[in-house]
Amino acid sequence: MDNTIANFGNLLKIQLKQQKQLDLIIAYGLAALTMTYLSYSLPNLLPGDFVTTMYSNSFVTITAEQEAELRNFYSTDAGFGDYIIRLLKLDWGFSYSSLTPVSSLFFSALPWTLLLMGSANFISIFIGFVTGVEAAWQRDSKTEKTMVSTMTIMEGIPEICTGVILLAIFSLHYQWFPAAGAETAYANHTLIEQFLDVAHHLALPLLSLIFAYLPGNFLMARNSMVMVLKQSYITTARAKGLSALRIRYAHAARNALLPVVTRFCLRLSFMVTGALVVERIHSYPGLGTLLFNAIQARDLPVIQAVVLVSSLMVLAIILSLELLYGIIDPRVTHAH
Amino acid sequence: MHINLRTNFISDPWFLIGASFTTLFCLIALIGPILSPHDPWEMSFDPISPPTIEHILGTNDCGQDIFSELLYSIHNTIFFGLSSGFTTLIFGVAIGLTSGWYGGKIDLFLMRLADILLATPSIMILILAASFFHPSPITLALLLALLMWPTISKVVRANTLILRESLHIKAAKQMGASNWYIIKRHLLPEMYPIYLIGFTSKIRSAVFMEASLAFLGLFDPTRKSLGIMISYSLKYYYLGIWWNWLMPPIICLSVLITATTFLAISLEKVMDPRLKESLGDNLA
Repeated sequence: MDNTIANFGNLLKIQLKQQKQLDLIIAYGLAALTMTYLSYSLPNLLPGDFVTTMYSNSFVTITAEQEAELRNFYSTDAGFGDYIIRLLKLDWGFSYSSLTPVSSLFFSALPWTLLLMGSANFISIFIGFVTGVEAAWQRDSKTEKTMVSTMTIMEGIPEICTGVILLAIFSLHYQWFPAAGAETAYANHTLIEQFLDVAHHLALPLLSLIFAYLPGNFLMARNSMVMVLKQSYITTARAKGLSALRIRYAHAARNALLPVVTRFCLRLSFMVTGALVVERIHSYPGLGTLLFNAIQARDLPVIQAVVLVSSLMVLAIILSLELLYGIIDPRVTHAH
Repeated sequence: MHINLRTNFISDPWFLIGASFTTLFCLIALIGPILSPHDPWEMSFDPISPPTIEHILGTNDCGQDIFSELLYSIHNTIFFGLSSGFTTLIFGVAIGLTSGWYGGKIDLFLMRLADILLATPSIMILILAASFFHPSPITLALLLALLMWPTISKVVRANTLILRESLHIKAAKQMGASNWYIIKRHLLPEMYPIYLIGFTSKIRSAVFMEASLAFLGLFDPTRKSLGIMISYSLKYYYLGIWWNWLMPPIICLSVLITATTFLAISLEKVMDPRLKESLGDNLA
């Protein structure tokens, strides 16, 4: 009898959990729909358009008739439903300024941003987490104090400054690294040469981003690790005679991981804007540069696509983060 | 608050370094425009000349005095940071208190709004606004404040929820105090450490944001700003101007942001007992 009740209870719990997940998915879906609608209605809300930008400061004067015709040529409004279908079919219209499909511009910029942000985040998380765990383990030692001080100072230096200093020293003065681009254009490279070339171009922007992200990751990993090390189960683990390495990583670090993973995902979800400044400094052809150039040229289809896709990406990553929490830390599921 | 708060602060080297540098910068921001030897917009000097006694840091490509430019830039950057930080604080505290104290539907609505804003990259909104509407810097500072309040109001709300259940608030309610009286007399003063911590960290992000926007060229190009100075001087790096034109704004910006970071960390450490556990008394 007790067993059936317990079983029933478990079943209810699982159902509740699924219900909650479904609620989450519905809420995020609604948010995504709202954003799509906002993006759809954006063109009518903004002052100025491509036609004025193109002809207001040129020597060509056009009649009102020609202007209306041009406006007609550049606007393709066929209702919200149509907009969504075209969005799903990756038919995002044509860029005004380069007359290429927006999706091809977008997907040629996306890999570079993914490469830059992905590797910067991954490396800085890895180094930051390991050093943070080690620092917390040797709390109050001289090494730990120096590390915390250095990282706090690094935290204060903005990425504009590190980016510009790295650019000025290593690519403009010594010319060890290229100052712009993501690969040598029209080069006839073998696969290995190609790889080295990409890495060579990636080095400086990657370094500036790692420099910007590392201190935060380190301080956060250290602080949460210090809290975890105070728990009584760590004392138990020690009393059991486990090796220090095992206590550190298998017992303690796993529980210190949650805030770090959150940070990683949030950083990744702000991918487009996160690297914007660094991409501009090093002229790296990623999404940030694409968005910035599009805004300068009032290239609305491109702006719309980048803004919409990146905000949908934010939603998708935060949703998967919510669903992922339960796997990383079962306590979260029980707390609900 | 604690009685020995002052001693705690004075014995904290992070606080001393942070506070002295921020005070210095605020002083420069206040009297900088009076101190500056030349009008920073005057273009009558020899362009790109090395430092002399008359021009401490030399002149730029338009023949403007770099030192005067630097003073005006610090002034502008700090006022952007202060106005944005202060407005964020007001929004954050007002919304956090309302949401925590009244609860119910208001709370639900405000906190969902906060969640939405937290998931919006503010630099994207600012870039869109700056490039399409060409607003004045003060409008941008206010817009930034509208995007930054959620973090403060979440903390304020959480603390209001705790305070609401405490004995003295219940007693005040029992004696027939109005909502407004309790908020003004009890809740508002009791959370002042949170305001200081939030204020400093928001100033930090606002200064950072101003520098990024200026570097990207989204402000009026004649406006004096550290970010604009960096982006202009980078164009002439090959003329060997990096130490008198490129470095001063970079150093000022780094020191300014580092100092506010120190201040924020120190405030958090001394005033938030929960964090004191994890940060330790002897951070240095």
